[in-house]
Amino acid sequence: MVMNKMTKVFDCIIIGSGVVGSSIAYHLSERKKYEILLIDKSYPLSGTSGSTQAWVWVHSKTPNWYGELSMYSAELYAYLEKKIGDFEYKRTGGIAPFYNEGDRDKALKLAEEQGKVGIKIDVLTRDEVLEKEPAVSPKIAGATFSKWDGNLNPFRLVELYIRAAKKNGVQCSFYNRVTSIKKVRGIFHVETEQGVFQGNNVILAGGPWSKELGKMLGVYIPVRQVRGQILITEPLKPFLKYTIGGVRQTDNGEVLIGYSKEEVGYDRRTTLDVMQQTARMAIDLVPALAKANIVRAFSGIRVIPEDGLPIFGEIPGIKGAYIAVMHSGITLSAIVGTLMTELLIDGETSLDISRYSLKRFSNLPNRKI
Amino acid sequence: MEADVLIVGAGPAGISAALTAEKFGAKVILIDESFSPGGQLRQQTQYFSNLPTGYAPDIGLKVIETLIKHLYASSVQVYTNHTMIGAYKNGMIGVTDGNKTFPILARANILAPGAQEEAKIFPGWTLPGVMTAGAAQILINRESVLPGKRAVMIGTNNFAFTVAKQLHDCGVTIEAFIEEKSQITCSDGILRDELKHVPVWTESTVQIAQGTGQVERVSVHTPEGRKEIDVDLICISNGFTPILEPFVIMDCELTYKKHLGGWVPLYNEKLQTTNPSCFIAGNAAGITDLGPILLTGEIAAISALEEIGILNSEEAEIERRKRWLELEKLENTAVCQARKNLIASSRSRQSPLTKSK
Repeated sequence: MVMNKMTKVFDCIIIGSGVVGSSIAYHLSERKKYEILLIDKSYPLSGTSGSTQAWVWVHSKTPNWYGELSMYSAELYAYLEKKIGDFEYKRTGGIAPFYNEGDRDKALKLAEEQGKVGIKIDVLTRDEVLEKEPAVSPKIAGATFSKWDGNLNPFRLVELYIRAAKKNGVQCSFYNRVTSIKKVRGIFHVETEQGVFQGNNVILAGGPWSKELGKMLGVYIPVRQVRGQILITEPLKPFLKYTIGGVRQTDNGEVLIGYSKEEVGYDRRTTLDVMQQTARMAIDLVPALAKANIVRAFSGIRVIPEDGLPIFGEIPGIKGAYIAVMHSGITLSAIVGTLMTELLIDGETSLDISRYSLKRFSNLPNRKI
Repeated sequence: MEADVLIVGAGPAGISAALTAEKFGAKVILIDESFSPGGQLRQQTQYFSNLPTGYAPDIGLKVIETLIKHLYASSVQVYTNHTMIGAYKNGMIGVTDGNKTFPILARANILAPGAQEEAKIFPGWTLPGVMTAGAAQILINRESVLPGKRAVMIGTNNFAFTVAKQLHDCGVTIEAFIEEKSQITCSDGILRDELKHVPVWTESTVQIAQGTGQVERVSVHTPEGRKEIDVDLICISNGFTPILEPFVIMDCELTYKKHLGGWVPLYNEKLQTTNPSCFIAGNAAGITDLGPILLTGEIAAISALEEIGILNSEEAEIERRKRWLELEKLENTAVCQARKNLIASSRSRQSPLTKSK
């Protein structure tokens, strides 16, 4: 792998092997046209993608064109599983509870908007929710419900992406940090701890480290790092059927619980204050959890673009340089991998992706890079 | 709850730290998740002679009995059945008794969680009757339960021979030692001699353990071909590794040192971790023998008291030096060298260990 790196020019170098980078590597490799290199400073999903509740969440993503993109990704996952293997994708249906009757109007408006793009949402009464999911507290007033929502096992998904990508000839360089990126006579020179790699195209898929990667190209990537702390219960008898606001039960019976949002930089500690608050909120929604033992807690650093919406596509002003960074990487990896592949290899995409361009931030007041 | 020093883990290192800190006048809280203090020394029936000044050579459970007696005669507040489960944002350690979770406010913490055994995985390893050597030792020496009648021991390190000897003394037939390497790794000639009737299969690995509901036989791959014997007990002695969770929770930096048991928290000559309020003692600071374990407890306590101003730097330095010299004499050379390397690397670290205010 290390040989030739001085002279060889890859068609595409992808930086970051989380769910987004791995998906792009796999989808590009499927076309068998590109020589691809996937680099990660650590190992696949050592960052955000490996520390998530791993929802494939569709129905409350607004505006509705963002919901639509999420829905297409959910659609693709079902087919993807047939191609790369079982990553425990389950379209459980998702319940987003609301606690005040006053929120019902908002819920109805959401259902109307999402309905326009084909996302069917039911606005449920308290009794309807309890009938679907008896473990939910009667304190709720109602919920929005959609069949589109679900979850998957991110460890399997990324592993399978990488395995399939390698089978298609993608080369990987893990535990290798990128230190700088230069464009020389149209070719990107990606300097790493283990030498320089050259590529005609480069894709930044660094998740929470996107800002640093952007700097190397002189581009400001407007994302924030937001910590979430997640509790895991002991394996419990299956009692939660749906993916519900903050809570879901995995195949092996553990319940994953998470609500918190803290801006503390890249600090992956857990704190008892937040763990206790999280537990209280979970018991409030699912009272039976009061009896469950928590066996583990972990935190993950979400990456959230400043306007909350995904950023992907070519970086304006730098031909051959691309970015893909988004909060819901687990939800969107299938569609983003597909669209990025179309963009690079075909030059056009089957969906209009101009809304997701980094360009939309160009009127922001000048940011320090 | 408030104290000058909170000590997590009431094994030999934790108790030694607690008694030392108390002797110098500190208010000490000592917690342990078990129902009793004493840690793993409670089931060690072998003789320990390489002990620090002030300790009479004796079998492990007598050594700890004496320590526990001193502990309960002291002003140290001991809380058994209390587990450290996290840290609050302000750095306070959170403890639970199974019902309530609450913070303990201490000016310094000494973490002495000890070590855990490394298992070895092979088909059938989850069958009842397959256990670590330490588990077998708890059964015979603490619970008075015979875990089997015919056993094999996987591994030939000192602990494997220690436990094999104790099982043998209880009437268990040790059929064989199974060793991956080309020779026995146990360095204790007397122990080896006492068990010289037991065959040692070197360059051998377990292929599978089988049985209905429990272990009934084991197949072993050896240079002479496959060997199969009927056993009802398979003990695994694959070494120990420091317990790291409390250090991860407290955001202490880790480093890898093979001779200290693998991943281990980074610390300086004061046994201070990269979190300046946390000191380390015992096997968590590197797998070693009882003598050095007791001394690290004392050193950590002295440093913690220096950190919070109960001891001044000069006295602390004198007391520490004394114990480091003694430790060097008692400790296995390879372990001691690895410890020195670790301490040296903490000095040359890019961002030096931060001094707390």
